[in-house]
Amino acid sequence: MITYPRYLDRQSETHSLLIGLGNAGINIVDRLISQTGFPMESLAINTDQQSISNTLASKKISMGQMTTHGLGTGGDPEIGLDAAKESAGEIQRSIVGANIVFICAGLGGGTGSGAAPLVAEMAKQNGSLVIAVVTSPFSFEGRRRSQQAASSLREITRFADAILHFENDRMAELIEPHAEVRETFAICDNLLFRSISSLNRIVTSTGPIPVSLPDMLAVLRHSDDSCLFGCGEAIGESRGHHALETALRSPLLDRGRLLHDAGKLLVYISGPPSLSMAEVSEVMREISNNLSPSAMLHLGVSATQDHSSPLTVTIMGRCGTGKRTGAQPKVTPDLTPLAQSQPTPPPASKPQQAEASFFEMPLAPTAHPTEKPAAPKVQQPLLPLDPVTRGRFDKIEPTIVEGEDLDVPTFLRMKLKK
Amino acid sequence: MAREKIHVGLEIGTTKVCAVVAECRRDGEVRLLGVGESPSRGVRKGEIVDFQNASNCVHDALSDAEERSDHEIKSVWLAVTGSHIESSNHRRSVNIEGGGEITEKEIEDIASKDKEVSLPKDNDILHSILQQYYVDGREGVIDPIGIGGSKLEADYHIIHGVVNRIQSTIRCVRKIGIDVEDVVVNSVASAQILLDDQKKASGVVVIDIGGGVTDYIVYHNGVVRQSGVIAIGGDHITNDLCIGLRIPITRAEKLKIEEGSAILENLSGAEKITLKNDTGFSGKEIDRSMLNHIIHSRLHELFLILRNRIQEVVPVHLLGSGIILTGGCSLIKGIREVAESVFEVPVHFAHAQSVTGPTSAFDNPQLSTCIGLVKYAHAVDADAPQESFFNRFISSITRKLHLI
Repeated sequence: MITYPRYLDRQSETHSLLIGLGNAGINIVDRLISQTGFPMESLAINTDQQSISNTLASKKISMGQMTTHGLGTGGDPEIGLDAAKESAGEIQRSIVGANIVFICAGLGGGTGSGAAPLVAEMAKQNGSLVIAVVTSPFSFEGRRRSQQAASSLREITRFADAILHFENDRMAELIEPHAEVRETFAICDNLLFRSISSLNRIVTSTGPIPVSLPDMLAVLRHSDDSCLFGCGEAIGESRGHHALETALRSPLLDRGRLLHDAGKLLVYISGPPSLSMAEVSEVMREISNNLSPSAMLHLGVSATQDHSSPLTVTIMGRCGTGKRTGAQPKVTPDLTPLAQSQPTPPPASKPQQAEASFFEMPLAPTAHPTEKPAAPKVQQPLLPLDPVTRGRFDKIEPTIVEGEDLDVPTFLRMKLKK
Repeated sequence: MAREKIHVGLEIGTTKVCAVVAECRRDGEVRLLGVGESPSRGVRKGEIVDFQNASNCVHDALSDAEERSDHEIKSVWLAVTGSHIESSNHRRSVNIEGGGEITEKEIEDIASKDKEVSLPKDNDILHSILQQYYVDGREGVIDPIGIGGSKLEADYHIIHGVVNRIQSTIRCVRKIGIDVEDVVVNSVASAQILLDDQKKASGVVVIDIGGGVTDYIVYHNGVVRQSGVIAIGGDHITNDLCIGLRIPITRAEKLKIEEGSAILENLSGAEKITLKNDTGFSGKEIDRSMLNHIIHSRLHELFLILRNRIQEVVPVHLLGSGIILTGGCSLIKGIREVAESVFEVPVHFAHAQSVTGPTSAFDNPQLSTCIGLVKYAHAVDADAPQESFFNRFISSITRKLHLI
């Protein structure tokens, strides 16, 4: 058991520091600052003097003046590492005193891949909690960059307490294929940006149900699985449902389908003071209906003082196995005649249950002692969470009973439960 | 014989707007004078989403009813529904002062405790229905006046809804210059006409499956035990068919009415239904078995949800008079078999009690709510003379302030 005595005391002032490393990292930091007026201190570190002069970050370090002469690394992580070593003293001075350090970097290039492990190590030695938010390159950027990213990620894993790892490939393949390049990058950046701001909220939240740091770290510790992340917010009628729906629509949850693969899941719900227990339980019920029975679920709930703030649902997690789940295998077709014209492929899923029993699904999947965890992982079904299946009820208030969106045709939902 | 007062019941449904003009005789018999109908537009799941369109439909239905009944409509009794309408059971108590004998004052005190019920802040009470009294913890007291004791308690069934959403329905009627006497929840109205005391005593559930929503009300031991609205109706079946069979929504609606059936037995598997081509639709052949499966699973699910809700207050097998189905959707073939398989008690179709009139409409399940409204109006009128004129004036004002 790892203990974090310094941070468990939530009354004490947390001092977080956001570090943008390299061009990609600085992009995210700038976006965070410009879009939200981000409350935490920020530090931009780069080898390229030009990019550093334009950033909005409150502190800037142009590292490796002697190594690179302010001209960047040319994509070589060795040079990135040398530059970081050269400016180690300066970096050290800037990060000391922060008890939570977020490191943002795009891996695969020179500065990010080279310097991120060193910065993480220094932060760790200062006794900070280190959370790395990194992206890995597109595969079309070449094998070399992928390898550089992979080895850098391994290094970071040694020092970081938590890693959110976003694969550009996976994001791009899940975003509309014909989306404009700019749009694709904007969506990727936006996801990173959302994830950091929600992480910061989670770490600093006070409850009623706070997420303990060990819980959060348990969910985010390992880097070798695909990361699941989704975040949505909504106001007004049935805001819980709408926020969840937006969160599930995240490409990193594959429109909600990957929930089934989640081994560990952290759900964080925050809202205005009017946030009710019924809303929380409705959201949780909807999520746990879609989870695999063996999944571990952590819940955090907080209510802000601000009456106008929306209800936000954040889902973070990891897939249950160490494997990528990018391509879902084709599922065996169902034998009933209905299957022939069914819009979504009908997958065989959980152990057979009586037709009626899905109404009595327990709130928490862990309350299923009789159902043994699927040891060789059963392929979980695709969920028709795509809003299209609501047909003519798309735009109006959904009918939610016991955590089910009843506007989705029954026969579609039944297929998935049986 | 002098004519009894004529009442008008209006229901703004998801599929159609119905207005019923009828007089209620002293013996409780309802005589229909005329029925006006208009297909509904701008209503989804029992609530108005397009104000102008809905208002026009109300106007059409009311003028149709005026024409057929030869009666000028000035005010209506309005049925309301929608998923925001909820209910709960409450117990409240008063201490008995003085000589320990319960008088009308205590009864009034206990009845006026509506305000103490905690509701969501946007909601207000639509109906507060007495279930039973307790005197010093002794249950089953029907008329406590004159009984001695130190504490009087009463169970109430409270039906409440979101004020704004009810107001928009009222406004829709007011807009065309018609006054709204009072609003009544759909299920309460239907029960007025479909149930008699014997049924209420032995236990019965009225399930009204309309176009957009399903209203239900549970009676046991002569009192309302549970009521509510589930926003599922015939539209959902149409939508399911549209998605499942990949046909346009208008075609799906027509198919549901003409061929729709929930019977799964004796399906040959090969039987096809040919849909003729139409403007913008090239025609299609569909499997009968698929059609039935889709309808069956939707209805089966709906009944399961209802059964769970009923089970919360009364074990279903104790419902001596079983289930009564009404509403437009109850016309679907095989629905009774599905309901019987889920509830395992006898299922009947609505037959309006003691209705006479020139129209043959009174066996139409789509009208039971409207006819019920008239009966409800009559019951309210029958209560009224006990109050003095002044009191009645006051109470009608408070009633309206309550709702407007």
